[in-house]
Amino acid sequence: MSAMRSPKLLPFLIGLTLSASSLASDVDRFDLPIAVKTLDNGLTVVVSEDRSAPVVGVSVVYKVGMRSEPKNRTGFAHLFEHLMFEGTPNAPEGTFDKVISGGGGRNNGSTRPDFTNYIEIAPVSALEPILWLEADRMKTLDFSEKTLKNQQDVVKEEIRVNVKNQPYGGFMWIDISQQAFSKWENNHDGYGSFVDLESAKLDDVRAFHRDYYGPNNAVLSLAGDVSPEEGFALAEKYFGKIDQRPTPKPADFSEPLNTQEKRITQSDPLAQVPAVAVGYKIADRGSPDQAPIAVLAEVLAGGDASRMYQGLVKGKEMALNIDSLFGLTGPFEYDGPTLLTVFALYKPTVQADQLLAEMDAQIAAIVKDGVSDAELARVKTAMLADWNNSLESFLSRADTLAKFQALWGDAKVANRVPAWIQAVTSDDLKRVAAKYLTVANRTVIDRKPAAMLATDAEKK
Amino acid sequence: MTKTLIALLIGALLVPAAHAGEAAAMPKDLPAYAADKPLPVPAISKQTLDNGLTVWVVPRNGMPRIDFVLAFQGAGLAADDPAMPGFASTLAGLLSEGSDQRDSKAIAEAAQGQGGSIGAFASNDGLTVAADALASNAEPMLALLAEVARTPSFPENEVALAKANALQGLKAAEAQPGFRAERAILKAVYGEHPYARTQNTEAGINAITREHLVAAHRQRLRPDRALLVITGRVDPERAFTLAKGAFGDWKAEGKAAAAIAASATTATPRFVHLERSGSVQSALRVGRPSVPATDADHIPLRVASTILGGGFSSRLMQNLREDKGYTYGAYLGHRSLAAGGALIAGADVRNEVTGAALGEVLAEYTRLGAEAVSARELDMNKRYIAGGYLISNQMQAAVAMTLANNWLSGLPPEFLGEFVPKVRAVDAAQVQAIGKKYFAPAQQSIVVVGDAAVVAQLKDYGKFETSK
Repeated sequence: MSAMRSPKLLPFLIGLTLSASSLASDVDRFDLPIAVKTLDNGLTVVVSEDRSAPVVGVSVVYKVGMRSEPKNRTGFAHLFEHLMFEGTPNAPEGTFDKVISGGGGRNNGSTRPDFTNYIEIAPVSALEPILWLEADRMKTLDFSEKTLKNQQDVVKEEIRVNVKNQPYGGFMWIDISQQAFSKWENNHDGYGSFVDLESAKLDDVRAFHRDYYGPNNAVLSLAGDVSPEEGFALAEKYFGKIDQRPTPKPADFSEPLNTQEKRITQSDPLAQVPAVAVGYKIADRGSPDQAPIAVLAEVLAGGDASRMYQGLVKGKEMALNIDSLFGLTGPFEYDGPTLLTVFALYKPTVQADQLLAEMDAQIAAIVKDGVSDAELARVKTAMLADWNNSLESFLSRADTLAKFQALWGDAKVANRVPAWIQAVTSDDLKRVAAKYLTVANRTVIDRKPAAMLATDAEKK
Repeated sequence: MTKTLIALLIGALLVPAAHAGEAAAMPKDLPAYAADKPLPVPAISKQTLDNGLTVWVVPRNGMPRIDFVLAFQGAGLAADDPAMPGFASTLAGLLSEGSDQRDSKAIAEAAQGQGGSIGAFASNDGLTVAADALASNAEPMLALLAEVARTPSFPENEVALAKANALQGLKAAEAQPGFRAERAILKAVYGEHPYARTQNTEAGINAITREHLVAAHRQRLRPDRALLVITGRVDPERAFTLAKGAFGDWKAEGKAAAAIAASATTATPRFVHLERSGSVQSALRVGRPSVPATDADHIPLRVASTILGGGFSSRLMQNLREDKGYTYGAYLGHRSLAAGGALIAGADVRNEVTGAALGEVLAEYTRLGAEAVSARELDMNKRYIAGGYLISNQMQAAVAMTLANNWLSGLPPEFLGEFVPKVRAVDAAQVQAIGKKYFAPAQQSIVVVGDAAVVAQLKDYGKFETSK
């Protein structure tokens, strides 16, 4: 693990796995078979066999993300992810997609603060060509000026279509992080500035591949119509001869909870309806507070039965929606400072302060009274079902196991999550609500349509 | 000179060279694909209840979850009064906001407590209520589904809130270029046919009353026009018993609505520029009507549209993204419905390349009819579609939803298992014929949502009318 900063906290969570699930019938349990092996070159291989369909999911997770990109190269980890699809000396540009499409498969990749994943799902008949392609691009890329320029253009279009040409422009994950965090690793725009993206050179690409894309900094995970023996043998065959490469030590990007509220009002030239994002810094990965925070987020903002939905969308009828997000990942898939963010569009007849006061009242009620046994049981049952559902697709199963192996150092942690959730008590919720969901620890962005903001200014 | 001639000339000028990559050999040590395993075809047990409700059961031994999909034919957006477009979406949304036994909150809590969800949505051809739960809760969840589908109470306060939120939601959607582009291309493709009216309007939302909802529920949600699909850890006999218990005493009232008239399979092309001041991209849509899902051309159209615009290896993606760097994504879809269909392509591109990108899309359209697709490219695309079937089939809810969607568009249950063999039978001559028949640039309507300054780049592609 290159970025396990709190190994001392692991035993707390592991201890929790002993309490058996009592929330639902045993027929509802969904334990995955998980086999793990590390090759001599440091590549960790995870296999979860399931013969119910002739399909296999593949995920290669590299332990590098937006936090580790060079300081004058915002957006580089993501630009680099694009270049991983653009050819190698053995497989020229276009080969990768053609081989996977011709095998009946789908592929994608994504970049997050703490990892970058490359994923495929395909009929199992395409497994060997896919592993060959993944191993091939782990060895080297073709480092071409032409594809660099092409993907600089493509990434800029991605930013235009998702940020610059969209109302709200991703402010609930980009801007809120810029405002809430104090260290560069955590608060820079991971999509990147156009200037930095355009400044990227082939030498940057070479160095990033050399430093972060070796087998010792990666996890290969297979789920579906493949046995551990078959999977390990294929991994050895295609990846076994790739040499280890030294990986730089990550900077210390830890930071404490905030001690003073930050409030920002932004003008949105495209939006017609105002929106608010409220971000709270949360516990480190492995903290005993992590599972209670996950449950608390569900109690407050997880779907139509949640307190904020019932209180703000229904009830006071102030908001159009209530969504919660853990940065760009999930409650158990981060490994550095992360925000629990509540995002809502709200009615123009309402002020953001009224919305915040209502949210605070919901939080205060939990700090004071906790939640009833019945509500807690309901929420946990829903979370167990959601967890099962998130593992149904062989693609997300392989990817989840790869991420757990990369972030926690153990893919088998995935089978413990249901028990962690089950062990959370009302007192836990009171404790974490009081500690993390405070005014001092929050960052608020009130994002208003430009026309509405201009009218507000005239009134003053 | 007519628009048609201009479009033809441009198409002829811009036929691109075949991609270099296509001719290039595969890496010499790349392993071959293994032999395909036999295609899994779900076994469907079928029964029709006395009240006309069709029940299909697909037992699965995977997830500890049960999935129910209850679909109502002819209950969707195409059945809506032209004065209230999008009404079926409001109807669907309000089903779970109160029943004769529970209020909205109690319904949400019941679903949560069963480890499940319940919700409804409207599509062109139908209204679908979907529910799932942990396997142990199959019976109570089916009861909740029946309660929501059969006895929604449409409380006045919930109706008012749904309308107020829909008005704000519409305002928010209007700020997105894709939303406006979709409305305009549907209008160009379908004209006055109801398939053109799937988005709601301010006036339409304001016009909705509780009485409309109650009447539409009675007329549209009826057992004699419904299909219930059950998938998961359940054997067919038990599933049929559960279905009878939940729906057996449900009687249809009054007459069902008439079927939707067929939409035209051709349309006079329209050229629409929707002004979006300060936009940093142009949202391009190219479209024309096609044929219903039951038409003989449906399968070859699926193959042809995949070659052009399905996935990373498609011609539009390779050309506009991987070669030119004009866009994050370019795609084409064949939308096959019960009474018609549409072929709609799209890409969002930076302002400077608006005209050039449109030229490339139309050039790729021309090429599909002008030259035969190579055996390798055809095979790749057929395998890509077959793979999509296998990948989707791995997911329990996807099987139920595909069966229900096929049924709504008039296809028999056997279509699911026959789909891949039919795709495999399509040859290059058929694809080229489809290219000539459906992809001539002169037949395509074009919509551009973008800044006023981009209009100058469009003059070669048609006589565009600008509106706000």
